[in-house]
This record gives sequence, structure tokens and C-alpha cells, in this order.
Amino acid sequence: MIVSLLSRALMMSTPLLYGSIAEVIAERTGMMVTAIEGIFLMGAWGGFVGTYLTGSAFIGILMAMATGTMTAAIYGIVCIFLKQHQVVTGTAINILAAGFCTYFQRVLFGIPTSPLKIDPLSQIAIPVLSKIPVIGPIFFYQNSLTYLVYFIIPLSYFLLFRTSIGLIIRSTGENPEAVDVAGINVNGVRFVVVLLAGVMGGVAGAFYSVGYLGMFTTNMIGGRGWIAFAICFLGNWNPKGAVIGTVVFGFTEAIAIYMQSIGGGSYFPNELFIALPYILTIVLTVCRKNFNVPAKLGVAYSKEN
Amino acid sequence: MNAKIRDMIVTNFLAIAAGLILSGLMLLLLKINPIPVFKEALTTIITDKYTLGDVFLKATPLIFTALSFAFAFKANLFNIGAQGQFYMGSIVAIAVSLQLQGKVPTIVLLMIVFALTMVAGGLIGAFIGFLKAHYNANEFLVSMMSTYVVLALMNYLLRTFLKESKGEYPQTDALTRDAWIPNLLDGTRLHVGFIVAILVAIGVWILLYKTPLGYRIRAVGSNASAAEMSGIPSKKIYIITFFISGALAGMAGFTEVNGVQHMLIQDFNSGIGSAGLGIAILANANPIGIIFASILFGALNVIGNLMGRMPGVNVPASIVDLMQGFVMIFVIVSYFFRSYLENRREKLKLQKKAVGE
Repeated sequence: MIVSLLSRALMMSTPLLYGSIAEVIAERTGMMVTAIEGIFLMGAWGGFVGTYLTGSAFIGILMAMATGTMTAAIYGIVCIFLKQHQVVTGTAINILAAGFCTYFQRVLFGIPTSPLKIDPLSQIAIPVLSKIPVIGPIFFYQNSLTYLVYFIIPLSYFLLFRTSIGLIIRSTGENPEAVDVAGINVNGVRFVVVLLAGVMGGVAGAFYSVGYLGMFTTNMIGGRGWIAFAICFLGNWNPKGAVIGTVVFGFTEAIAIYMQSIGGGSYFPNELFIALPYILTIVLTVCRKNFNVPAKLGVAYSKEN
Repeated sequence: MNAKIRDMIVTNFLAIAAGLILSGLMLLLLKINPIPVFKEALTTIITDKYTLGDVFLKATPLIFTALSFAFAFKANLFNIGAQGQFYMGSIVAIAVSLQLQGKVPTIVLLMIVFALTMVAGGLIGAFIGFLKAHYNANEFLVSMMSTYVVLALMNYLLRTFLKESKGEYPQTDALTRDAWIPNLLDGTRLHVGFIVAILVAIGVWILLYKTPLGYRIRAVGSNASAAEMSGIPSKKIYIITFFISGALAGMAGFTEVNGVQHMLIQDFNSGIGSAGLGIAILANANPIGIIFASILFGALNVIGNLMGRMPGVNVPASIVDLMQGFVMIFVIVSYFFRSYLENRREKLKLQKKAVGE
């Protein structure tokens, strides 16, 4: 039982890992991707549409990357090149994304008589490894998107802290003037990481529609993009911190689902479990001290200043 | 006319037009010709009193949520949680009204409910401000998360304590007429709450620009450490600002529950928090501008609904979100062009001066 709970926790953590690591990389350059909720939603929608129309989850996920990137590109253009406020722009894009998905769902599928379904990604058992007691069923009996994230975690850490690209990314958030003087296009760097956040956020969204539920509804993200955003803060802008934060959240969510499934609702209201991740965010935001905020987080860069 | 104001009007107008045109093009995808649809919707608004009243009716809560965001924004604080504060106001409005209706005169009931919704929203706000002031918590995150917590609380209450006496749906009993906000215009749904909203907007403007407290709030907003140096306690200002910001959003609960819906249901007005934010941006956080921008959004809402009801056309309701989203994006983009125009004007002025000397 505890094994299935932990396996569930890891599964629910997967999209948050994609989202928060993307957010970490982007915020290290000074770009808060406040459009992340909209990117998740567009990814979920794009993934669903791609899978439904072609029958291939792989194409669905590519489509999710495309819709996520498209959303991120609009955000990047407005915030980076037109230098508008990141929080404000993000909110506008989140509203637009919600309207866009609902509208185009209707354009493509009309009003279906029964809910449209796709086959969610199946769990793949890794030979040998999945036979290890306890660890096997938790870590090596997951879907492909979860396996992919195993590689992304160390890769993102390595990229940020062990390569010259990582140095450029981190310097762009701390001291963009120096990066500029070194002959590197600050806004270009920022735009690239925002697009990357679009790709990864799109996959995260697709995890909910293609990877797990096998359907699409407009409220299926329900603030999880914001949780990924919060995890980035709480994880101190570090992929390692993001992993710890995500595990905590994934675990809370798994407990919530588990409690609902065993009828915990008769002891505690279900709504308490639904609210738990959000309450946890508030508590952690309050408890967490000594933040290592990128110096230029949220500040647009222009040469004249 | 001042060149800056002219730019603002022109660019905003163009942005709104661009947003509407793009939404119109989206209708083509459903093989609907947007021109007659828009035309019919606009004629209905202008000629039909009931529909026109609805524009202002829809604008009312938006004025409050927009003021809520704008007020905190003046102190350089982000209150993204107006939706939750509005829900808290709604919960209090329905609970108190159900208790008091028939027991006290309408006017007394309305005044009590109004005051309590303010306090309810305000306390949620003050809590966020308190965490910001004393724990340096990121108010953006906390306010965002608080909405989901209040939403869960509301759903819980609708299922339990506030559930209708029939016990069928997760919604409350309807209020009797004793607890309704009086109508403003016969033949419409428009109620006195609209006037209250306008008065509150004017009040917020006075508070911000004509009182010492407003000055302090704006001082903290433009430079918190400089304000601190000159003896303004920025922590206290954070809490006060957030209290007022939350109270403004809470008032929307009063006008919506007692004025429009007369009951509380699930997913009640779920978009007014974010729409309020958009309106605040559109109006550049100016309380008086917010009144007009809210009426515009109210009109977009009504246009969308009218389109959805037109016989034989079948425009989906989501066109409203699409219109609002596009308008917001274009308005944000127009800020860029406005500052570009202003820079160019300043440069020209300097050049002229240099040539003159």
C-alpha cells in the first residue's frame, strides 16, 4: 500500500518537476515565467488534440511542446522585447489561454455528446530494475514522461552549474550589463530560456491530459502551474531544491487522492485535502528564509539604462 | 488636449479595436460571419434597456476587483487573490443575510452585510499583508494560493453548513426580497450597488491622492526604503494596504450575492478576479479610469452572451474570455508604443531646445 502511494506521489510529481525546473532555468536569467499556468493549460490541450487526432501519444506530446512554446513566445516577445511587466503580461496570457483552449476545443470538436477520451500513457516496467523490491515498483514502473524527467533533473543541474551556457544563464539574471559587455545578447538568452520553459511546460501540461487522465477539461490544471512557480521559489532557484519541493507536493497530492479513495471524507472534508498543497505553499513561503533571489528577477533589460 | 492623454485614448482605442477584430476573425473559424453578429449585439445593447442595464450590472463587481488590484499595485504590492477575497465576501454576505433577513429592516441588513463583507475580504488581505510584512513572504504567491484555499472552504460550506434546505445541490437557499439590494432602474436588473461601486472608486481616488495615508502608500510603492528613512513604517503600510485591497474585493461579494444572484452557488463568478486585474492594467491603475474600463469589460461580457443566445448562430460562451484576453494583450502591447511615442516627443523637444539655443 505504501508502495503504491509513493509510486502515485512520484507520478503526480512529474509535471511539477518539468514545470519547476523550467521555471528555475528561466528565472535564473531574470525571467519569471508567470504565464506558466497558461503554458501548462495550452500543453494539456495541445497534447490532447494531437493524440486524439492522430492516435499517437508521441505526436500529441510534440504538439503540446508546440502549443506550450507558442504561448511562451508571446509572453517572451511582450516581456523581453516590448519590456512590459512580467506579472501583468502573464496574467493576461493565462486568461487568453483559458479562452483559447475552450474556444478551439469547440471549433475542432463541436459539442460532443459524450466526453472525448484518449488512451493515457501506459506504465512501462523496466526489465530487471522493476523487479527490485519497493524501489522497483516505485521508480521503474512509471510512464515514459516520468522516465524522461529522471534524465532532465541531473542534466539541468549540470547545464546550470557546470557548463559555460549555465554561467551565461546565471549571469544574465545577476548582472546583465556584464553579459552584454561580453558580447552576448541578453534578451536573446532570455528569449531562448523562455521558449525552453514553453517546451517543458507544454510537456508538463500534456502529462495531465495525455499522460494521466486521458481527457481534456479547461480547469484540469487548476493552479498547478502556479505550484510549479512556487516550487521554484521555495527550492531557492536550484534544480536540487525544486526536486525536494516537488517530492513534498507530489506526496501531498498522492495522500489527498489516497484519502479520498479510502473514504477519508467521512473524517475530514475532501476539500481539506484539495486545499492542502496550496496551504502547504503558503506555510513554506512563510517558513523559508535566506532566499537567493536572482538580482534582476522580473526586471526588463535595455541598454540605455 | 495634453499629448499624453491623447496618446492614451488613441492607443487604448486601437488596442480594444484590434482585440475585437481578432476575436471576430476567430468567429470565421466556426463559419460565422462576425459583422452582422457584432452589429446585432451592439444594436441590442443600445436599444434594449434591460441589456444596457446588464452592461452596468456586469461592470459592478469588476470595478471592485479592479480597484482591489490597483490599490495594492500603488504600494508596489501584488494582490492576485481578489477572487478569493471576493469569495470570502460572498460567503459572509450569504450567511449573514440568511440569518438576518426578515428580522431587521432591509436598509439595516444591507449596511451590516456591506460592512461585514468588507471586513471578511479585508482580513484575508491583511493576513497576506501580515505575512509579507513580518515574514517577508512573497505576497504574489501567498495571495495566489489563498484563492484556492478559500475556494475549497466555500465548496465545503456549500456542501455542509450553507447547503440549501432541500439538500439537493451544493448551493444555498435563495434570499427573500428583504435582503435584496434595491433596483436602480425599473425594467432592468441594475441595482444600487453600481452607484456604490462608483462612489467607492471615487473614494479610493481621494484616499490615494488627497490624504496623508494615500501619500504614504504611494511613497512606499515608489521606494520602500526611502519611505522608511523618512519615517513611514512600511510594514504597517503593507498590512493596511492589503486590508483595504482585500476589503475592496470583498465588497464585490456583497453586490453579487445581495444584488444579482441572491444565493451562493459553486463556481460563482469565477473569472472576476483575473478580469479585474486586466481592467486595472487597462486603466493604468487609475480608480476613475477603472470605472470606464469595467464598463467596457461588462459590455464585452454582455456582447458575448448576446451572441451565444442569437438564434441559429451558436457562438460559444468562451468567446468572452477570448475577447477579454486579446484586448488585454493588445492593451499591454500598446503601453510599449505609448512610451515609445512619449520618448520620441521628449527627444524632439530637447532637440528643438538645442537648436533654439
